[in-house]
Amino acid sequence: MSTETREGTNRDGESPEQVALPATEGETTVTEEGSELERSIGLVGGIAIGVGTMIGAGIFVFPGLAAGRAGPAAAGSFAIGAVIALLVALPASELATAMPESGGGYYFVSRALGALPGAVVGLSIWLGLVFATAFYLVSFGSYAAALLTEAGVAFGGAPVVEVLALGFGGLLTALNLLGTENATTLQNYVVGLLLTILVLFLGYGGLDALGVFGAERTPERFMPFGPLSMVTTAALVFTSYLGFAQVATVAGDIENPGRNLPLAMIGSVAIVAVLYVATIFVATSAFGSDSLSAFGETAIVEVARAFGGGVGALAILLGGLLATVSSANASILSTSRAVFAVSKDALLPRTASRVNLRYGTPHVALSMAGGPVLALVALGEVEVLAEVASFLHLVMYGLICVALLAMRRDEPEWYDPEFRVPAHRLVAGLGATASFGLIAFMQRESQVVGGAIMLATAGWYKYYAADVQLKGVL
Amino acid sequence: MADDDTGPASPTESPALRIREPPKVLVPVEVLEGQSVSTQLVEFLAPAEVVLLGYHVLPEQTPTEQASMQFEDRARGAVDDIAEAFREAGREVETRVVFTHDRDATVDRVAAEADVTAVLLPNPVADVADVLVPIRGAIDAGRLADLVATLLADSRGAVTLWGIDTGGEFDAAAAVDRARGTLLDRGLAADRVRTEVSESDAPARAVIERSPEFDVIVMGESGPDLLSLLLGDPAERVAEGAVAPVLVVRERSG
Repeated sequence: MSTETREGTNRDGESPEQVALPATEGETTVTEEGSELERSIGLVGGIAIGVGTMIGAGIFVFPGLAAGRAGPAAAGSFAIGAVIALLVALPASELATAMPESGGGYYFVSRALGALPGAVVGLSIWLGLVFATAFYLVSFGSYAAALLTEAGVAFGGAPVVEVLALGFGGLLTALNLLGTENATTLQNYVVGLLLTILVLFLGYGGLDALGVFGAERTPERFMPFGPLSMVTTAALVFTSYLGFAQVATVAGDIENPGRNLPLAMIGSVAIVAVLYVATIFVATSAFGSDSLSAFGETAIVEVARAFGGGVGALAILLGGLLATVSSANASILSTSRAVFAVSKDALLPRTASRVNLRYGTPHVALSMAGGPVLALVALGEVEVLAEVASFLHLVMYGLICVALLAMRRDEPEWYDPEFRVPAHRLVAGLGATASFGLIAFMQRESQVVGGAIMLATAGWYKYYAADVQLKGVL
Repeated sequence: MADDDTGPASPTESPALRIREPPKVLVPVEVLEGQSVSTQLVEFLAPAEVVLLGYHVLPEQTPTEQASMQFEDRARGAVDDIAEAFREAGREVETRVVFTHDRDATVDRVAAEADVTAVLLPNPVADVADVLVPIRGAIDAGRLADLVATLLADSRGAVTLWGIDTGGEFDAAAAVDRARGTLLDRGLAADRVRTEVSESDAPARAVIERSPEFDVIVMGESGPDLLSLLLGDPAERVAEGAVAPVLVVRERSG
């Protein structure tokens, strides 16, 4: 084990701490003192984390927005997103099997490229997930409001979406602080129920779109706004794929990580990609993109109503609530793990990773997730929230690909992944280019906010932890 | 450590009847919740080999690594204190410390890895004299006898084999006779083995109701049936409801 470069102290005099030994086998990890850390998430649990984080936005928020921007070619935008996600999921899988540690993407980048890129990624991921969580919560608010409207409750123009989002965000944070015993099991059921609703909906809608029942609908031009619109829309909807890397943040809890991590990451991307493309296809076939766009964030509910009447609309509303809650909750958890990983390496004060003995929860890290989320929810700007979250994740994804190239070039002695990406230079090269490239197609506002956050994180590293070295160690 | 003599428990009869191995008992203790093992229980278990498992259960949002970073020293200290008590009673103890999200998965895994004869579900106990062995289904009589005979060899305690007839095909009386025979073969005096058979539709509740009369309950693992899926494993239900500690004899693996 090479520990010679794990050194340096931050302003508070803390240096990076290693807890678990790199050697992992089957069901446990062993710490330096010989205690065992039980791994209790199986393959299904891993896929549920990936799918549960990802499946909200693409189906329940974006169809209207994306159709308004790209027309039926929005299905192509989702396909572009899926290809980029897969190009990153492969390198991420290899790195995760070599380093199955809490922290995921941050861990790979800091070990392969050094502490400065590590700090930028680690802190950006924390903030990126905060933006993503805020986005999921605002979406949740839209669904909750739509459900109440469906039930005949009138609001009289009150800002009900934000209020519902804030209330639920506070509730989720509080639940996590107090400890949720069966969160993983519950997540599995939620994802299972969600997939059932969607498969029924898409099965019926798909047959309908192909003209099996009912009248043939007016064909629409595939790219009414030109091919560029498809790419810029891909940049917007990429938020829908911000889940697979979350599987890597719980790598320390996954049984048999050499097999289950790559399968869970690649499998969950494949599952949601198919569902997304099918949903957009069905939605744009049922309505023209103009009317879809006019329906806004709950457009898919109108699609379901067109197929299944009130029952269909209710089922999809329920699905939307489940999906946005599950994404928001998974993101809050991942945020607290990102904070823990960064704090363990002395890039944030050690206090940030304190665990509350009474409830057993990382209360500081969870508050660092929940607090800023509520502030962002109050802003309520869905598209900007989504794009900034995408921006920060895309930077990490690009750097993960670069990290793979660096690892393969240096191949430290301990580097022994159980899964190796075939043609890794091509895959990682394309993945990095695509991730960084997609950023160029975002709105100016999101680019400015994202860039400012990255500069701020680099500034924090220079100020607080400039001496900390992380490159090449486990 | 597994190769030494059976220690104080070794009966003095002919070698053929000697206990085949010192039984190994897994003692899971939730150390950071202040759980401990009473002196009486330590003395009772001392003839067996003990695997002491100190565990701490975390909610799923806390990485095990994070908790271990903060609590590992405390957990180790607490486990070592308990292990010291066993050493004073004359037995070397294997200790393990585990941080987990799932207590049952951890106990099952460690029990299988260490190939233990039985798992202790701790409850407070005074001096151990009377052992209750409810028999309500096929039970590994050899393992049961090894365990009970070893633990009781040097004390004056008595064992009650209680066949519970649930009205099915299982012949409780015959099973009790077989178990009694094996215990006598293992060198337990006949006057220390009592037997009885009664009928009950709800064996777990019946055992809980009688638990105040005894000091320790030894029972077999039961396979997963519908009722245990709904209500939890009978041994665990008994442990929760009973006044006495429960030793669950594991099925032989492999």
